[in-house]
Amino acid sequence: MYQKNQLLLPDIGLTMNMKKKFSKQIFLLPLLFLFAAESFAGFREMQDQAGRTVQVPDNPQRVVALAPSVTEIIFALEQEKRLAGVTRFSDYPPRAQQWPKVGSYIQLDLEKIVALKPDLCIAVKDGNPIEVVSRLEDFGIPVYAVNPVNLQTVMEAIRNIGNLLRADAQAQFLSAQMEKRMNQIKKLTAEIPHKPGVFFQIGINPIVAVGKDSFLHELILTAGGRNLSEGDIPYPRFSQEQVLALSPEIIIITSMARGKIFQQVKKDWEKWPDMPAVKNGRIHIVDSDVLDRPGPRMVEGLEYLFRLFHPKAAGK
Amino acid sequence: MPDIVKRIAAVSFLLLLILVAAGLLGLSLGSSQSLPTVLEYFLSGGEKDPMLANIIWRIRLPRVILAALAGSVLSLGGLVFQALLRNPLAEPYILGISGGSAIGAILGILMGLARFPGVCLCAFAGSLLTLLLVVVMGSGRAALKKDSLLLSGVMINAFCSSVITFLLSLSQDSRIHNILFWLMGDLSLPDLKQSGVLALLVFPCFVLIFCLSHIMNLLLSGREMARTMGVNTGAVMLVLLICTSLMVSATVSYCGLLGFVGLVMPHLLRMILGPDHRVLVPACILGGGAYMILCDILARTLPEQGEMPTGVITAIIGAPLFIFLLRRSKK
Repeated sequence: MYQKNQLLLPDIGLTMNMKKKFSKQIFLLPLLFLFAAESFAGFREMQDQAGRTVQVPDNPQRVVALAPSVTEIIFALEQEKRLAGVTRFSDYPPRAQQWPKVGSYIQLDLEKIVALKPDLCIAVKDGNPIEVVSRLEDFGIPVYAVNPVNLQTVMEAIRNIGNLLRADAQAQFLSAQMEKRMNQIKKLTAEIPHKPGVFFQIGINPIVAVGKDSFLHELILTAGGRNLSEGDIPYPRFSQEQVLALSPEIIIITSMARGKIFQQVKKDWEKWPDMPAVKNGRIHIVDSDVLDRPGPRMVEGLEYLFRLFHPKAAGK
Repeated sequence: MPDIVKRIAAVSFLLLLILVAAGLLGLSLGSSQSLPTVLEYFLSGGEKDPMLANIIWRIRLPRVILAALAGSVLSLGGLVFQALLRNPLAEPYILGISGGSAIGAILGILMGLARFPGVCLCAFAGSLLTLLLVVVMGSGRAALKKDSLLLSGVMINAFCSSVITFLLSLSQDSRIHNILFWLMGDLSLPDLKQSGVLALLVFPCFVLIFCLSHIMNLLLSGREMARTMGVNTGAVMLVLLICTSLMVSATVSYCGLLGFVGLVMPHLLRMILGPDHRVLVPACILGGGAYMILCDILARTLPEQGEMPTGVITAIIGAPLFIFLLRRSKK
């Protein structure tokens, strides 16, 4: 570098001058580093759950949560003071609805996010469009992605977000609690020999169930059931007769559709009184938010499923 | 001749003013910052707020440019089809050309190709195929030509939408939501580079079509007539059709399906400016751009939360107008 300067400058006197300056700079270098360290102290490198290395602020103050599950995690960690914006269907806890909205998690409103001047966005790998993430990064807004695909990674996501938001203690406590409750269920189900066949219906028209590659599958197994729709397709479609052929002992309907529509679907199944689930009155609705959202409430969903699958064991 | 030059210049200048005004409005309105804030930003010379600068120049500007390009392409596409097929109701969307491009584009997306050139080329292939189908099907019986062309277009359009639904229901792709939104005509999320690529693709088409605009006048008065004037009608039509399909399919692969724009603008402008294509071509380019920018502003600001696809707005405005024009042309 220095050599180059010398070549570029024909005036020797000037180069000499520069040399002096340069040595002075060398002297000042450690100081400079200190200064730089000071100004860069605001950031650290972290690996997110999507495997990307992200420069995140040390102490983020304006976080936009790009999915309802992320919002729930932030509230559960009591870090809502850092929250600058949430997505449209972030309705838990209810006061989360008071935060500014940035579109729905699939249809994010880039302009609104940028207008909130976030110092960090937390995204979910499956769901948030990658285009929006890369546009946000173009604007110099770091995006940390979580990828909660099963119970284990949900707890990991909670710990990661806890680390991000300087709430390690809360995150450890929360994930330990979840783990404890989960192990309790596992212990109980291990003692029960009969695992009822469950048809877990997440879509009504068409009928959609869950395959092996979904965390609902894992929840069903953990709660002590058999997933009748397991297969390689994550969310397979079914016809009515295919469902009848499976003769499910339990039908669980989780849906964006609540109330009336559930009654309708239940009535539709009740046309087939020979089906075990109908015969024994074991068609249930569950709050989809507790099960579909990979957040802290998933353990509640797990316990709820367990009570539905094994009412006797749960009664003890 | 100087008369017509003057007229083209006057019309273009006026519509350019409208386009620029629409563009400025598009920069000023959006889902986050209110109009006064943006005006203040412009008046103060705009150095102080990097966030506002980002929103205006890096989010809204590419979008305004994309909207303008899409509007120009689709209006001009409508104009060309109407002249070539001598049918006032011809339009890329109604003829199924847009639908064909969309099938190609979806196949490209599902194959995981890049937007450019992969998806664009697939869309182009799709549009050429449907164009061929429409022309072959529509040219069977000369007597019924005017209606049968439109009918075959409508059928092909319906066929295309069912193929699209078929493709979407076959795939278990997590990108389906994005594809659906894009299909309804989505202008969100372009960056300057994407808008620039589209501009580079369509500008040569604009120039070429403008150069051929006097021949379009001749074609409108009948192919025989044009032939006697020494025009190689077959070659000219081929060039125009390919050119139009190219720019329409490029637009579809970036913006999805934006219906009825190619109907509204050419008709409106023809009513005001008369049938001379030398005036209508630049008028459609500039006016169509302005119209689409305005539609996109509505799409961005009407819903209280999030955005709606721009294609919804163009169809809501365009479809009633289509019916109105159909009734008028029957009288």
